Amino acid sequence: MVDRTDVTEDPPSGPGSAENRGERSPRFSFTPAFVLKLLFLAAVNGLAIAGLPAMLDQGWWPGVASVVVSTVFIDYVYLSRRTVPAKYLIPGTIFALIFQVIPVVYTGYIAFTNFGTGNILTKDQAIERAESLYSSVPGSQRFQLSILASEDGEGELALLLTDEAGNRFFGTAAGLEALAPGEVVIDDAGKVLSVDDFVALNLGQISDRQDELLSLEIPSELGLVRPITATTAAVYNRLYEYDAQTDTLTNLETGEVYTPVQGNFTSAAGESPEDIPGWSVVVGFDNFKRILTSEAIRGPFLRVFVWNYVFAVLSVVLTFALGLLLAITLNHPTLRGRRVYRSLLIIPYALPSFMSALIWRGLLNQDFGVINELLGANIAWLNDPWMAKVSVLLVNLWLGFPYMFLISTGALQAIPDELKEASYVDGASPRQAFRQVVFPLLLVTLAPLLIASFAFNFNNFNVIYLLNSGGPPIEGAQTPAGHTDILISYTFRLAFEGGRGQDFGLASAIALLIFIMVAGVSAFSFRRTRALEDLT
Amino acid sequence: MAIAETSGRTESMTRRAGGMSPFVGWFRKLGWRHLVALAALVFALFPVVWIVSAAINPVGSTLTSQQLIPESPTLDNFRALSNTVPYWSWYRNTMLIAGGAALFNTMLAALAAYAFSRMRFRGRRTGLLSVLLIQMFPQILTIVALFLMMDLIKDVYPAIGLGTRNGLFLIYLGGAMGVNTWLMKGFFDTIPVDLDESARIDGATHGQIFMRIILPLVAPILAVVFLLGFIFLINDILIVRVVLGLGNQENWTLGLGLWQFVNDRFSQRWGLFAAGSLLAAIPIIVLWQFLQRYVVSGLTQGAVKG
Repeated sequence: MVDRTDVTEDPPSGPGSAENRGERSPRFSFTPAFVLKLLFLAAVNGLAIAGLPAMLDQGWWPGVASVVVSTVFIDYVYLSRRTVPAKYLIPGTIFALIFQVIPVVYTGYIAFTNFGTGNILTKDQAIERAESLYSSVPGSQRFQLSILASEDGEGELALLLTDEAGNRFFGTAAGLEALAPGEVVIDDAGKVLSVDDFVALNLGQISDRQDELLSLEIPSELGLVRPITATTAAVYNRLYEYDAQTDTLTNLETGEVYTPVQGNFTSAAGESPEDIPGWSVVVGFDNFKRILTSEAIRGPFLRVFVWNYVFAVLSVVLTFALGLLLAITLNHPTLRGRRVYRSLLIIPYALPSFMSALIWRGLLNQDFGVINELLGANIAWLNDPWMAKVSVLLVNLWLGFPYMFLISTGALQAIPDELKEASYVDGASPRQAFRQVVFPLLLVTLAPLLIASFAFNFNNFNVIYLLNSGGPPIEGAQTPAGHTDILISYTFRLAFEGGRGQDFGLASAIALLIFIMVAGVSAFSFRRTRALEDLT
Repeated sequence: MAIAETSGRTESMTRRAGGMSPFVGWFRKLGWRHLVALAALVFALFPVVWIVSAAINPVGSTLTSQQLIPESPTLDNFRALSNTVPYWSWYRNTMLIAGGAALFNTMLAALAAYAFSRMRFRGRRTGLLSVLLIQMFPQILTIVALFLMMDLIKDVYPAIGLGTRNGLFLIYLGGAMGVNTWLMKGFFDTIPVDLDESARIDGATHGQIFMRIILPLVAPILAVVFLLGFIFLINDILIVRVVLGLGNQENWTLGLGLWQFVNDRFSQRWGLFAAGSLLAAIPIIVLWQFLQRYVVSGLTQGAVKG
């Protein structure tokens, strides 16, 4: 181990000192690093300033605080001379924090909520939705309608209403008043032009302000007058009323009172009105309990769980075995065409795997796939539970062996030959030398990469999902689970393809479990391989 | 290299002593290696040959009617690709987003690796272990959270929120710290510290040491991390789909676009898929051929030393 000296102490830096000290190359007085630094700082500060108005506007104070604090911190780190390591660590860390760590934490939160179809809003949004529901007043009359607005059609909206008897009313959000005939300006065709400052809107203006019109309600003694088309208005009553004090929602038509239960307004009889959406609430360990106790989820979950491990381990073992075999075979100095072989053999790895998976899907098709055609057989590669597993492993072997071949070749070439020579001197056969000297060294070298490969394959969504969509389906399973599904594809299907809609809470709970399992296995393997011993 | 030489020498010595015919000797020494290599090539290239064939088969031929070597090979699929979908926009997007993000990630990881390899500071061990831990939680597991976050960001920074290519780019940058940092740190550790020392005595700043001494020496690992990152990002279809899937097709990437070809009607647009895949694979395979030797040394060298 090289003994590295402590370099935390910063030598004088900055453009000035670079000029003084770097006489041999004055053109580097503005070092690339310094220019990068300036650009980076400018971008960070610019981005922060650009976002602040919108955040202040929405009153999103946690956002404002974190943006200001982190920007000031970044400026400090880069303008100070005492924070050298941080200068190098911050750029990657920022992105990792925002787009990796925060999503993980957020996933952890969602796992404890009932977030999903039907419970996707906040409570305030749900109440707002409920209060925007109306019931029409039975037997009430309709009005002929002209839509007007002040300030040449840009300002406050108003409705000019004419009832069946020909009486005219002028309504704004403030209320309804009767009009004398003379107050309305009408053209020869009987079309309303204006009332006071309010002028009639044309169809284009009406469609521009459609959203405003839909939420416009004019209070009157009859009820709430609302436009229903561009030329008619009718009287409505509000359907629900929310009482913040008692935290209840009352149906004004039936008098039924609803209280919030698990993110849904629920009546005493336990029923929730279908027209009011639910909102997401923290439900504690409910999602995890469902995984353990609900038969429909637990049964397939256990099968998927076991297969996930089998798939990941076998994928690593098979690809490594084939890759190593090829590396040993081709790693011979007098073998002609080694470079050509190598260049061609890595093509499966160089091809984007989403393409390869789809290509294999076509090749392995039972009825018109090329493989069955070539073999003259009718093998159910993708439809038989066992063959589907074999196929997935075969395709993953195809995808992964070039990588293992590459790293094995590199590792073989990096092992000092003195070691092997020494073993020959001690009387070892080539096979013994390989098994007892080369292979253990190879494993030490490649262990971190093999573990990374395991972690990757544990969540190898592309191969499983694109090759066979996790199929064939497990018969009798009540959730969408297939014989080749691994946890992440199962989760994805559960979250986005379930018959009952999206269940983000449950999906996040499974995502957390996957994380714990992968991290656990990796930590265990790292400890076994002592790859972390170097970390002083 | 050297090991193989040794074993080669040993083998040939034994052979000569045995007095076999030249062919048998050649076969036992090298010939079988060619056989194994050829078998592996057939396995590796068979699907590739088949997709080339699908691309030049006439438009409308299905999996069953396709001939390995079509009687009338045609470029119709390629033409249809340009005419019916914004294929070249996908292509440009992919190269810019995946390529740009991979490049950026490489630089970010190199910066971090430099600090971890060359400096001793409080929290260094914790930092290295956290990087390892982060890596265990792939971004696709957090897809729901990412979606909600991007939706929130859209309100504040519309230019980088949900449905924008910039947003996708930034999400990809979230993966900069991870196994890359470790790989690079291992490689950086193999560069003798004496080099930094002497440069420092000559008055170089830490920035100059990094840019002008370390970076040129670690070029192989930079190539590796870039290439592997590029391939990884090109393969992403889940995050792209969530961020850009509902928006304008012009903004899509190759992954999303090509997937759509075969997602709805597999057999009907097979030719287009094949042609599109071929064109997409070319730059990556070319890159591989150039960077291959770096990849081999880069991936293993850092690990060996540790």
